[in-house]
Amino acid sequence: MKTILESIELTKIFKTGKIEVAAVRDVSLKVREGEFIAIMGPSGCGKSTLLHLLGGLATPTSGRVLVDGEEVSSGKDAVRTDIRRRKIGFVFQRFNLLPTLSAQGNLEIAQEIHRNGSRDRQHVDEILNLLGLEKKTHHKPSELSGGEQQRLAIARAVINRPAILLADEPTGNLDTRNSMVVLKMIQELNRALSQTILMITHNPEAANIANRLIEMRDGRIVSQQQEGGWNAAEDRMPL
Amino acid sequence: MRSLATALAVGLEVALILLLVGLSTGMIRENSRRMSGVGADIVLQPPNSSLVLAASTGAMSVKIADLVSGIEGVKDVAPVYLQFNTSGGMGLIWGIDQESFNRITQGFIYLKGEGFQGPDDVIIDDIYADGRGLGLGDQLKLMNHSFRVAGIVEHGKGSRVFIPLGTMQRLVGTPGQATMMMIKCHRQSDIAGVQDQLGRRLKSYPTFDMSSFAAHIEEANRDFGPLKYFTNTVVFIATLIGFFIIFLSMYTATTERTHEIGILKSLGAPQGYISLLFLKEALLLGGLGFLLGLGLTFGGRFFFRLLMPTLQHQLPPEWLLYTGALALFSAGLGALYPALRAARQDPIDALAYE
Repeated sequence: MKTILESIELTKIFKTGKIEVAAVRDVSLKVREGEFIAIMGPSGCGKSTLLHLLGGLATPTSGRVLVDGEEVSSGKDAVRTDIRRRKIGFVFQRFNLLPTLSAQGNLEIAQEIHRNGSRDRQHVDEILNLLGLEKKTHHKPSELSGGEQQRLAIARAVINRPAILLADEPTGNLDTRNSMVVLKMIQELNRALSQTILMITHNPEAANIANRLIEMRDGRIVSQQQEGGWNAAEDRMPL
Repeated sequence: MRSLATALAVGLEVALILLLVGLSTGMIRENSRRMSGVGADIVLQPPNSSLVLAASTGAMSVKIADLVSGIEGVKDVAPVYLQFNTSGGMGLIWGIDQESFNRITQGFIYLKGEGFQGPDDVIIDDIYADGRGLGLGDQLKLMNHSFRVAGIVEHGKGSRVFIPLGTMQRLVGTPGQATMMMIKCHRQSDIAGVQDQLGRRLKSYPTFDMSSFAAHIEEANRDFGPLKYFTNTVVFIATLIGFFIIFLSMYTATTERTHEIGILKSLGAPQGYISLLFLKEALLLGGLGFLLGLGLTFGGRFFFRLLMPTLQHQLPPEWLLYTGALALFSAGLGALYPALRAARQDPIDALAYE
């Protein structure tokens, strides 16, 4: 299968005054089309920063990111935005839905941005049905439960059929029951639609549903497990 | 609530401009109409006089009336002295020679009372009387002088307030002088010939055919320096206020919605899309403000009519368009920086904003 996402010696250093903190260090990673990867690691190990770099929300200090062959690590905001618009879907721990819009409105605005203004009401309804939100079409996010909000956030992320779905602790704000529902949905997206997914999680059960597990520590990938067993990363820090 | 307050503030900007322009236009047109209502065919003014009658300081001898009377085709001549009065309300007071003025105008239509019986008598029109609650025999103080209301006449002939020419000359300190001659010709066909003769005999004295005099007055008042600068200054300040209100409102809005901007950026919304969102919102506020401003203008007009019935308010249609454009322009300009600032936000910082 073709490589849909690739990072090459990716490094991100944050500067606070004279202090430099390397959040991500020389991370090289290849994600194949249709893969479902979980990234685990302790808080502050650089998981979210890596996800932001891969999704073009942030620019690396050095290294490159290629999404479906296009370089997303360019310094130009317009280029990164364009690739994000066409190829990437985000799901966040805090849902990040637009509070003034209904469920339908949240999906339609994602379509509008993706399609430069046009909307497809039928596809919106299909997605809402698929995620069991057909009765919540006109509800505002504040009128939905946490699980429903995250399902809506997932619906918004995939409505434009992105090449890759980047999920940052999608179950972090949910109780066990809702977490299971959301994870099942994410798994279903991967299995049924071959959606490529990169998911950050602290939850081992969530990590278990992925085909590949990457563990990070101190900004580096320290181990990878391909369905079946752990493999040490080539370029790693000692555990 | 903030949006409504912003729109209301833009509305005040619009109302301020429209009320000011409406009042000045209304007064100018009302004066023009009343000038036309006198019934004269030609108006003769002294040298260096102005068509902005309130500001005209030139005067000429009333004896010129005798010279004008001798021109072939002239039926009657009435000397008039115009004086801008600010005591007891603003307006032009006409000092008239009752006899000659009546010949020109075919006489006043008296609703109450009669003409001047003495030097301290005043004739007022019905609108002026109603507006000030004046009746026959009441005292009216004008130009620091007390007058007795001798007659109340139907409005539409020259001024709202008339006093005897001699009294006016005495009060102003220009005996034997007039600021204007109203000339009546025997026939319409005589007007051009009389004007031609006046041009030969009184070279530096401007004359105006009454049929075009109203238009001349309107044009002169519109171009009158102080009024023009005053109007332009008010328009500029009002636009500036509109700009700052929208600027502050949109700046606050973009700060409050930083997290939402981050969400849009994560969805791949380009800078133009985000800028346009805020610009559209500002233009909507500008449009709503314009409509509210129209409402405030008409409300203000109604209020003015209740308080001061002599004040005329007339909205020139071009100013409606102009003010609407100004409201939208100030809204767009005010939103420009906040919109661009919003669009340039870092997506991660914006998403992390609480």
